Amino acid sequence: MAINKDSNTYTIGFAIVLVIIVGGMLGMVANGLKPIQDENLKNEKKQYILNCLPGNKLITRDQAGDKFAEFVKQRLILNYNGEVVENTLLNSDNEVDIKNTNDAFSIDLLKEYKKFVQPITNKFKGEELENKLASESNIHYPLFICQVDGETYYVAPVMGKGLWAAVWGYIALDKDGNKIEGAVFDHKSETPGLGAEITQDGFEDQFIGKLISNKDNYRPVAVNKPGNPLNEYQVDGISGGTFTGLGVEEMMRRTLIVYHKYIKNLNRS
Amino acid sequence: MDLVNIFIRSAFVDNMIFAFFFGMCSYLAVSKTVKTAVGLGLAVIFVLTVTIPINFLIENYVLKEGALTWLGEEFSSVSLNYLTFIMFIAVIASTVQLVEMIVEKISPALYGALGIFLPLIAVNCAILGGALFMQEKQFATISQATVYGLGSGVGWFIAVVLIAAIRERIRYANIPGPLRGVGMAFLITGLMGLAFLGFMGFEI
Amino acid sequence: MAETTEVLEEKKVKVKEREPLFSKKNKKLISDPLDENNPVTIQVLGICSALAVTVQMKAAVVMSISVLFVLILANVTVSLIRNLIPNRIRIIVQLVVVAALVIVVDQVLKAYLFDVSKELSVFIGLIITNCIIMGRLEAFALGNKPWPSALDAVGNSLGYGMVLVIVSFFKELFGSGKLFGVEIFGNLAEKTGLYSMGYMDNGLMLLPPSSLILVAIYIWVQKIRNPSLIESH
Repeated sequence: MAINKDSNTYTIGFAIVLVIIVGGMLGMVANGLKPIQDENLKNEKKQYILNCLPGNKLITRDQAGDKFAEFVKQRLILNYNGEVVENTLLNSDNEVDIKNTNDAFSIDLLKEYKKFVQPITNKFKGEELENKLASESNIHYPLFICQVDGETYYVAPVMGKGLWAAVWGYIALDKDGNKIEGAVFDHKSETPGLGAEITQDGFEDQFIGKLISNKDNYRPVAVNKPGNPLNEYQVDGISGGTFTGLGVEEMMRRTLIVYHKYIKNLNRS
Repeated sequence: MDLVNIFIRSAFVDNMIFAFFFGMCSYLAVSKTVKTAVGLGLAVIFVLTVTIPINFLIENYVLKEGALTWLGEEFSSVSLNYLTFIMFIAVIASTVQLVEMIVEKISPALYGALGIFLPLIAVNCAILGGALFMQEKQFATISQATVYGLGSGVGWFIAVVLIAAIRERIRYANIPGPLRGVGMAFLITGLMGLAFLGFMGFEI
Repeated sequence: MAETTEVLEEKKVKVKEREPLFSKKNKKLISDPLDENNPVTIQVLGICSALAVTVQMKAAVVMSISVLFVLILANVTVSLIRNLIPNRIRIIVQLVVVAALVIVVDQVLKAYLFDVSKELSVFIGLIITNCIIMGRLEAFALGNKPWPSALDAVGNSLGYGMVLVIVSFFKELFGSGKLFGVEIFGNLAEKTGLYSMGYMDNGLMLLPPSSLILVAIYIWVQKIRNPSLIESH
């Protein structure tokens, strides 16, 4: 061997070459594949929204791209008081545009959750928590108004955290804002077999028919310890997935109140 | 979240070994005697306390979306998130190597005590795990991140020293042959893990 | 010193070149890790992920396949550049190779096999920190040619997968009464099958400590069958 592998020059040279090769390769791969990945993510979001509508659970990701406009008639952004944010009402003629910040579809809930919601939920409780959430104007509440067989459904996205990382879901509410008509959940990295079970039909379908309204007042759905008798405001959690269940409960409690307000106001006027 | 709170949580409630089972490989490998366990435990505390703040800076000034804004406005939408693993791993491995060299030069006695453990640490998943948790927890300041690193390290130290002490004691016990060594270590860790489950969800 | 051993190794390698692809020695590379040199129970590597993903058989199988894939790629890559890697930074180089491979695989899956990538996303971090991969790179690929390294990777990931599948079999069956998500003991909610007789799932089986205890029992059984593996302490 002519080259001294232990010399500093060789070591540094090798490190530099390695960094350039690896960095270049990763950069190329990541940038080259980004458009396809973005398209996948967009279709996945569409799929979530469609899947939580009654009778649409089997729509696949590939179909979701085309069928989205067929079901989702309007999309808009609400503030914490359940009022429509100016210029955000779009109907199905407007193509989904993830660059348009007024498009409900473009709202990155995870980013808002980490940046604005979490600092508040970590610190405050009860009424103070509500006041703080209400005064933070950077938190948006996107809403998708859908039509299935002539019936109107309101699809509300929710975002929170489980044991490890983010959990999120899409909840379909009926036209009176009283009842849950469908729910899909997903997660970033909950434990397989425990927390990760929230994506199973067995968990999601429990929400169908549960109420979020008691004589027109908002009442959140609770995720209970499994095995106990349930009323119409409770669902069974997952044994061994307590924290993920708590996360699901928290994100629904915090978010659905906004949509409840909006639908109630809409029906009153 | 004040610093004491973060420390207690990361050392006991979210104990690296018993709550997340991170760093098990080296944990089982060095827990035969208390002396080596203390050595590696100290090294882990040290490396976690050093690498977590560095990774915190990397996360906030290089990787996160918008983290590169300090380079200029046009970088405000760049996200290098896909490089997270490789950056963290590189920081950890090079810090370990650097620390090894510095310790060797400055304090040969300390090097004699810690030296052989340092290369082991680069591949200890507790270190990368700690960095990834730090990213997930979104600490606001670097001092919070540092305390988190210190606490996680102390938690790991406690766990490894505890099991090493137990293993030293049971050396003279009459254990069924096939369970001797690793088998028994697994069993004990399982039982200790059950005990630590009691901390789960503990709020301070 | 280092150079003389290297020269020796080079010579050895040259002699080996005329070996058939599946010589006795090469076959041993695959069969050894399944039993007497099992990465999990004997070498004590890759425990963290073995504990994290064994609640479900499906997760265990997916994890085993991804480790198989990454380990083969990493072993072959490192083996190809083994004569170029400077000794002092070899651990960093190995880590970088593994991390880069995992990221590339992850990115490609995200683009072309989105559903698989969602299934895998939980495991990506666990693969990088899986010490089996680092362990095999350091212990085998650094000193051997690509083909034996690939076989070594196959053997070790199969040995790893075997433990995962066996442990997850018991955990899923007794923890949630299912196998691969199919209900075996009947439906808990509707009280059919075994549940109608008052059988309850053992929730403890779902928690991580039970995998430690199951692995301990696995080691116990393995060493009863093969007493030469028994440790003195």
